[in-house]
Amino acid sequence: MVFFPAFDWAISPDHPERQERLLYTRDQIQEEGLFDHPSIREYRPRLAEDYEILRTHVVLPSLEQTVTESHRIAAGGTIAASDLVLDGRAQRAFALLRPPGHHANRIVHGSRGFCLLNNEAIMVDHLRSRLGPELKVAIVDTDAHHGDGTQDIFYNDPGVLHISLHQDGRTLYPGTGFITERGGPGAYGQTVNIPLPPGTGDEGMLTAMERVVLPILRDWQPDYIINAAGQDNHFSDPITNMGFSAQGYAQLTEMLKPDIVVLEGGYSIESALPYINVGLLLALAGLDYSKVQEPQARLEPQPKTITNQVAAICDEIIELWGRRLEADLGEIFGEADFFERRRQIYYDTDNIYENQQEHIRLCQDCPGWRVIFTHSNRVRQVTAVVMLPWQPCPGCREEAKEQHRQLLGDEQFGQVIWQDPAKVLPALES
Amino acid sequence: MAAFMVGIDVGGTNTDAVLLRGAEVEALIKVPTDPSDLLGSTTLALHKVLEHYKEAKPVKLHLSTTLSTNAIVEGRGSPTQVVTVPGPGVNLKSLDFPFTLVELDGYIDHRGREISPLQLEQVSRLRNVLGESGEALAIVGKFSQRNPAHEQSLKEEIAKWHKGIITLGHRLSGRANFPRRIVTAYLNSSIARQQLEFLRVWQKVQGSAIGEILILKADGGTMTLEDSAERPIESILSGPAASIMGVKALAQCAEANFLIVDIGGTTTDLAAVVDGEVLFERDGATISGYKTLVPAVLARSTGLGGDSRIRYEAGTGIVIGPERAGTPVCLGGEHLTPTDAAAALGLASVGSQEAARQAWRDWGESLGLSGEKLASEVFQAFVNQLRRLVEDFYTELESMPLYTIREVLDPPRLRPAAVVGLGAPAPVFIPALAKSMGLPWEVLPFASGANAIGAAAARATVGVTLQADTQLGKVTIPEMGYQGDLHRPLFFDLGKARSLAEEKTREYAESLGYDASGEVYIVEEESFQMVRGFRTVGQTHMVRTQLRPEVCRVRGEDG
Repeated sequence: MVFFPAFDWAISPDHPERQERLLYTRDQIQEEGLFDHPSIREYRPRLAEDYEILRTHVVLPSLEQTVTESHRIAAGGTIAASDLVLDGRAQRAFALLRPPGHHANRIVHGSRGFCLLNNEAIMVDHLRSRLGPELKVAIVDTDAHHGDGTQDIFYNDPGVLHISLHQDGRTLYPGTGFITERGGPGAYGQTVNIPLPPGTGDEGMLTAMERVVLPILRDWQPDYIINAAGQDNHFSDPITNMGFSAQGYAQLTEMLKPDIVVLEGGYSIESALPYINVGLLLALAGLDYSKVQEPQARLEPQPKTITNQVAAICDEIIELWGRRLEADLGEIFGEADFFERRRQIYYDTDNIYENQQEHIRLCQDCPGWRVIFTHSNRVRQVTAVVMLPWQPCPGCREEAKEQHRQLLGDEQFGQVIWQDPAKVLPALES
Repeated sequence: MAAFMVGIDVGGTNTDAVLLRGAEVEALIKVPTDPSDLLGSTTLALHKVLEHYKEAKPVKLHLSTTLSTNAIVEGRGSPTQVVTVPGPGVNLKSLDFPFTLVELDGYIDHRGREISPLQLEQVSRLRNVLGESGEALAIVGKFSQRNPAHEQSLKEEIAKWHKGIITLGHRLSGRANFPRRIVTAYLNSSIARQQLEFLRVWQKVQGSAIGEILILKADGGTMTLEDSAERPIESILSGPAASIMGVKALAQCAEANFLIVDIGGTTTDLAAVVDGEVLFERDGATISGYKTLVPAVLARSTGLGGDSRIRYEAGTGIVIGPERAGTPVCLGGEHLTPTDAAAALGLASVGSQEAARQAWRDWGESLGLSGEKLASEVFQAFVNQLRRLVEDFYTELESMPLYTIREVLDPPRLRPAAVVGLGAPAPVFIPALAKSMGLPWEVLPFASGANAIGAAAARATVGVTLQADTQLGKVTIPEMGYQGDLHRPLFFDLGKARSLAEEKTREYAESLGYDASGEVYIVEEESFQMVRGFRTVGQTHMVRTQLRPEVCRVRGEDG
């Protein structure tokens, strides 16, 4: 476990993302004596290096102006946790740290949903840089909010399967994560959203695990399973409307058997987090969690209507998964050379509006290179980003280089950025 | 007139005793320890050292003994029953305690709030459950350091029919760690009877030639005999602590950070001074596999010493320790040891240099090496092994978790700027070790009696943990069994928490019969705003204090 409660950092003094957030979790873990247990060991976090961040993100106007040390430690701590597993020092790792990351998109103008850097996305790219671009990584996001940032980063990445279970986007921030969002042309079907109705309890979540998540994982055969473990599905969470319990989280962990768990949201800091984290840690270490229970009585069992709704959603998703390879990509993404996507993205934490225009090269041989044009009320001049996938075909590499050359000569752009994740090396960074 | 002091350290092999007159060492004697008769060894050493004491006034005695340590290591504690109030969380049955526990209903949370009360009928049934046989009892609740009410009312009930020893978990430590609190309270009760007998014996001695008797603790401080009967567990592992107090009393080293290396015949102990203070175990001492909450100096012991066995392994080369070879050849033994290497090379004048040289020549012949070459390789191997131990030791220290950005950006600097050595082989090996680390060094005078000098020089240590919660309006100091209401909770800030902690530390020290005039310093503190629904509702403060243990300085005869 890499534990970093950041006891000297807050977004603002009374913000949910504040010094106190993991205090009671620390108290509970210490009182339970978990760091003395022979199966559990605590490690230090570290700072993420520039190249580790820029392999995944484009940070505007610059790293120095946007990223704080707390973000670097959360990202670096997540990398440190993954290294424990890669180096064989641990069977599984838990990065219990803050600030969280799953609402951070590839392009970063500021913080959204309390997130600035996407900790697990940075970690996934670190895994691939160590083990090779052909690595298959599944991310299962169990935060109550849709993991929209992680989805954005990997939606056209065939090396990543992103499954997000969350409270239905029609009822909660960030308002996305519908079944119809299934990924880009290079990774169609590998974005799997499981929107759950408000009020869903342990029963509904475990049903979704059993009927959707586990079968898809068995089918896709990832090399590593990452759990983006938000803890705000808890019945006592102040900013969501779900009904999970600490026992439910522990059972989920036992079923999923993730290699690496990364904390995301969760703001019921006294009534839920201490108990969820103890249960999760015990379950991850294969220990007895049967007596872990939060102080308040649980809500009534999940209503029958919700059980039926969850069952119907599960049926629909698993059917879509089964037929994903038959999808007619031409019909979905068009027959032109490029697929174009225009978006306006709101950064609630920093009150930033971003306008983004993205063109993905539709390629038979690779996921295709991309160019993204972005500007916001923070960075007004347009930035152009030319991006290669982890395993580009030679044709795409040449076209992307040519595009980059052309853009560099165009004075309307504030910055022209080149991102080739497979070629980012610490030595080249300086 | 300078005050006289006697310090005795009963070790596994020898019992050392010192007579101090102020800062001067008047006498330093050594007798072999008879493990089957610790009391006999102690009184023998006491009588021998008192031969040098001619005053009429009773002399003060500081005693460091392995009595408690041995009882635990050898599993000779009294049968002890443990009553717990675990509440929800880790299943205690899964933790494999080597003793049985009774689990009662009841639940206190992390802020000390009672979520569910004790069940009276369970408490009244305890008499049948425990039976009348158990003479020693420990009562431990989860989060009892935040609210001792359950432990206290259980004791009240049980004491109505149980006349034996009862230890309450919260009185032993203010630190969080329920399993360690259980173990600490259990061990405390299990050795309490033995300590009571010890108390009775020494109370009789007290008064005539001997004045006040104080017992050395694992944190290098002292406690009264009476106190040691209440909390005997604190007297474990006082030996290594005595040596480190010896360093504080004798070392000239002015560096803020230095390494302490205590080389004995069988083992070497490492300890670290950082910012002028000896580093302590983060949670508490570990003894015989038991993880406790007993405050203790952080010392790491390894099987590497002057009398260690030496093997020559093809491929690896020379390996020293961890087992003991016995008496060195130069002193008439049968097996070559690192001490023989030092003797043969002329680095130490111990016993017969010629006998050592001959033995190296004989062994060297079978390996195709000259005797001198082999001896110097063994010497170098010893220094190299020691160097690796030191590196591992600091790597371990540097892996301690960091919870703030400030610490991650500027981690505490622990590395030493000097090496201080003690123990008989220290003059031979410490200079070479320090040279390999590129550091200045110092070897203590009285290298083989520093432990007894440390025991004599040690002073009382008292510390408390204050936890205040201004939303609940409560303040708790578990070590004192104190829980009170905050008078004006809104105005109770960290500064007020510090003052109250200092005041209570002195009050506690006085109640235990110690001089409370020394400096009270803050070992650790933290303070958090509690926000609920975007509104600050209170603060939580934790202040851990310690009455600074002033070690009396002792002048080195030849140092």
